Amino acid sequence: MEVLVNLNSIRSALAGRGLTVASMIPDAGGSRMEKASIQLARLVEGISLQSIPVGPVQAPPEPIAFLDGVQRSEVIAYAGASPIVVAEIAAAVRERRDRRLHTVLEDRRRVVLARPGALDAAGETLADFHRVPLESEEAPHPIRDLVHAIQALDRARGALVLDVGYRYRSRSDAWLVVDGALSESPCWAGDPRVVGVSKSHSILPFDGQDLERYLRLPAGYRSSIYEPHTRALAPVRAWALRLWPWEGKDLLHGLVRIEVAPAHGSTQSADAISRWILAERTPVSAPDRRWDRLLYGIHSVEQYLRSRTA
Amino acid sequence: MPPEAGPIGRVVATELKPSTPHQFHFWTARESPIGIGSLVRVEENARVVYAVVTDGFAYCDLVSPLHAVIGADGDPQLAGTEPTARAEIRLYSAAVLRQVPEEPLQPVPLGSVWLASDTDVILALRMDGYTGHERATGIPVGLYAAGGLEAPVYLDCDFLLGPEAAHLNITGVSGLATKTSAVEFLLGSIFQTFPAHKGTVAAVCFNVKGPDLCFLDQPGTLSVEDLRQYQRLGLTPAPFQNVRYYAPLKPDGVNLNTLRTHESLSANTEPLVWGLREVLDYAEVVLNRDDIDAKADAFIDFLAERVVGREYLDETLRTKPFLVQSFADLEDFFRRIFDFMEAMGKGGEVWKTHHVATIRKVRNRLSNISTRSKGLVTDDGLANDLPWGSFADRSVHVIDVAGLDPLAQDLVFARVVSKLREHLERRDLGVDHVIVFVDELNKYAPADGPDTYVRKMLLDLSERGRYLGLVLFSAQQFRSQVQRRVVGNAGTGIYGRMDMDELATGGYATISPATKIKLATLPKGELMLRHPHFTQPIFVKFPRPAVLNSREGIERFPPAAELPFTDAVVRHLRQFDRRISGEMVRALIDGRREEDVRRALAATRRERPADVYAYFAACLGRRMTSEAVSPRRGIPALSQADDPYGR
Repeated sequence: MEVLVNLNSIRSALAGRGLTVASMIPDAGGSRMEKASIQLARLVEGISLQSIPVGPVQAPPEPIAFLDGVQRSEVIAYAGASPIVVAEIAAAVRERRDRRLHTVLEDRRRVVLARPGALDAAGETLADFHRVPLESEEAPHPIRDLVHAIQALDRARGALVLDVGYRYRSRSDAWLVVDGALSESPCWAGDPRVVGVSKSHSILPFDGQDLERYLRLPAGYRSSIYEPHTRALAPVRAWALRLWPWEGKDLLHGLVRIEVAPAHGSTQSADAISRWILAERTPVSAPDRRWDRLLYGIHSVEQYLRSRTA
Repeated sequence: MPPEAGPIGRVVATELKPSTPHQFHFWTARESPIGIGSLVRVEENARVVYAVVTDGFAYCDLVSPLHAVIGADGDPQLAGTEPTARAEIRLYSAAVLRQVPEEPLQPVPLGSVWLASDTDVILALRMDGYTGHERATGIPVGLYAAGGLEAPVYLDCDFLLGPEAAHLNITGVSGLATKTSAVEFLLGSIFQTFPAHKGTVAAVCFNVKGPDLCFLDQPGTLSVEDLRQYQRLGLTPAPFQNVRYYAPLKPDGVNLNTLRTHESLSANTEPLVWGLREVLDYAEVVLNRDDIDAKADAFIDFLAERVVGREYLDETLRTKPFLVQSFADLEDFFRRIFDFMEAMGKGGEVWKTHHVATIRKVRNRLSNISTRSKGLVTDDGLANDLPWGSFADRSVHVIDVAGLDPLAQDLVFARVVSKLREHLERRDLGVDHVIVFVDELNKYAPADGPDTYVRKMLLDLSERGRYLGLVLFSAQQFRSQVQRRVVGNAGTGIYGRMDMDELATGGYATISPATKIKLATLPKGELMLRHPHFTQPIFVKFPRPAVLNSREGIERFPPAAELPFTDAVVRHLRQFDRRISGEMVRALIDGRREEDVRRALAATRRERPADVYAYFAACLGRRMTSEAVSPRRGIPALSQADDPYGR
């Protein structure tokens, strides 16, 4: 797919149609938005939350692949008070062979997000873009509409990632490490070769003493396995894993949430997967500020996608 | 030729590292045939850019070394065991050799980069202008090799031997830079490929150390790879066909002062002997070191124009005219002057406007050279010189000055080069171009030190020689230690393996760090080349010269032992006529004065008569046998009877 080019000519065309051109990149343009909350999970390993040493680092299985997606959006014009957002979303799988990552699958899409009326006003100017109408009963509001657009873009990006991941898994038996949660897709949630590694802890699975224990896992330890309550769409098994010592830094430093299909919900599987996920913490993905939680393979997919995104 | 598989890289340009019309950067896969010195081609739309790789960089996405330490938990043994190797880049810098079209000159476009093909090498180095047509002037100098490609590289003889540019200088550390081999190979290449429409060419080589150039006429041992390279260059691996060696004699006047004294090599080895006339014309060489002045110059001119080689009469000195032809005659002439001045007493400090101190100085210097250069300078006036006026096309004349005193070496350089220039100016040397090869140039044209006659002469040769067809091929270990204008005038520069200290000097500032490193580690047989047509230096490899190298030469042709006077004379005469026996010669010269024998031998050498022995005997002259003198008898007193006082 071609990258976004020459937005200025599109702006001129939109101006010609009576729209107010704009040039603004939303704050949340690069990552998904999640609301912080506690959604209590169901413990499936033991009767109380434990800190469990996973043992020595183990070589990851081969072959192994990494999946991630990126998005980039920009407000290009306003139809009245309604923003028109153009974006590029992309997802790719990079597979590791002989310690080197190679892109084996990639997809990109250009989308335009706006109220249906705004899209109509843009007319054929944005004909090359996949149209995502933002239905709303409420009156147009530039900030609220923009939030809705970003949420819709998140969903579009997620859908693309799912699609690319599904396509990869349909042709390969390799393990696939996904950036984020698995529960968004029944296919993934049931796939025994897919592992979700989530850096986000906006939704926490415990409270009280369990939460403190959860957030104070030592490096190389995992939590007991649990079933996230919020993942009703597709049941998965999850546990927290501390990649790097957090002491003196932050409670969330080096803390990731691992999600696997219920088939891997045993203690033995959790330990084994945790051991090779620990191996994946190096090389560190610095200078990314999330290096303590961002696996290098995922970082590499991001770098690759961003390098090809205008 | 390797097939053009596809692009091997892509030009990248950033604000910090932009492309310019002269330089650009490109990245390649981790595994690529690109190296420092590789030629590449960039194509984008209708523009083609040829360039040479001058530097290379590799780095990964690691921003701070600290992150590597963190990743390995501070344990070096864990480093490198990460499941994923970091993303890394191979980034190269390239210097533009040529752009097509040449105008308008623009920054290099962001195009694909290809490894240069055979044709690309010709175009990149602008060799299409002087090769591949009827009046081509290309001289093969070596093979450019990269990525499986091996393409001949040619020098333009119009820019190597004149008239457009001329001269060649080669520099590099001793033993590893293969300077002498490179010159030998290039001379061979010139002799084989110098185009007929450019005229004739010969070479005069000064052998300044050991047996370096002593076996140019003997075939060397070549490997299969050497032979293949000769074939690729279109050359025949053969030693020089027409070589003559000249070496001064040792002080005994009969043994040659050279390492090329093996009997089987004697046919084309002859003495270099000069007389007073030859030396006096270049007396400035011996005077200019520390005490040249107008007065001494004037007196030497007086000697050269009025005295030497002609009858000179000064009745105040003696009534009989002087005929000064040798150093001995000159010494007698000086003695008469001093006797006259001493006889004058007070007021006798000046003779014919020349002060006695000036006369003494000139006398001392001239007698000094006859002493220090005994063997080169003969006392009897009979010279044996290079064949001025009859130089043959493709002939090599090697003058072995390795065993000479530095003063005498200067004299040889000065006279030979001056004579070459004189004859080339008059167009009567026998050839149109002469290549003069001088090794250890830093010794003869040093950057620092006194401005000697030889240095001035080499500078003059480098600045004006190309108009005459007089071309200087020079070599030295450290280019920075040579007079800048001498090496600066060399149109073509060759660099073998270099010393890093030398590369740190200012003369190499334009060479990239990577190229310097390559120069400092260059294997034998590889050289970096500068030539007026090449806008950037190019690396080439060349086969070993097809002549015997000095080490093997000395093993195969060990120098003959120094012979006693009589045996040496026998050997000399037997070179001219194998029928002459030692007994014959011994009988002939027994009891003769050595100087008489030397004079006869020199005359025979110069004349090369049909009957050598008879001529030699005639030159010696009739033997003056001693004659017994009977004691005188006393004369009896006259008896006169009529003497009135007689008894």
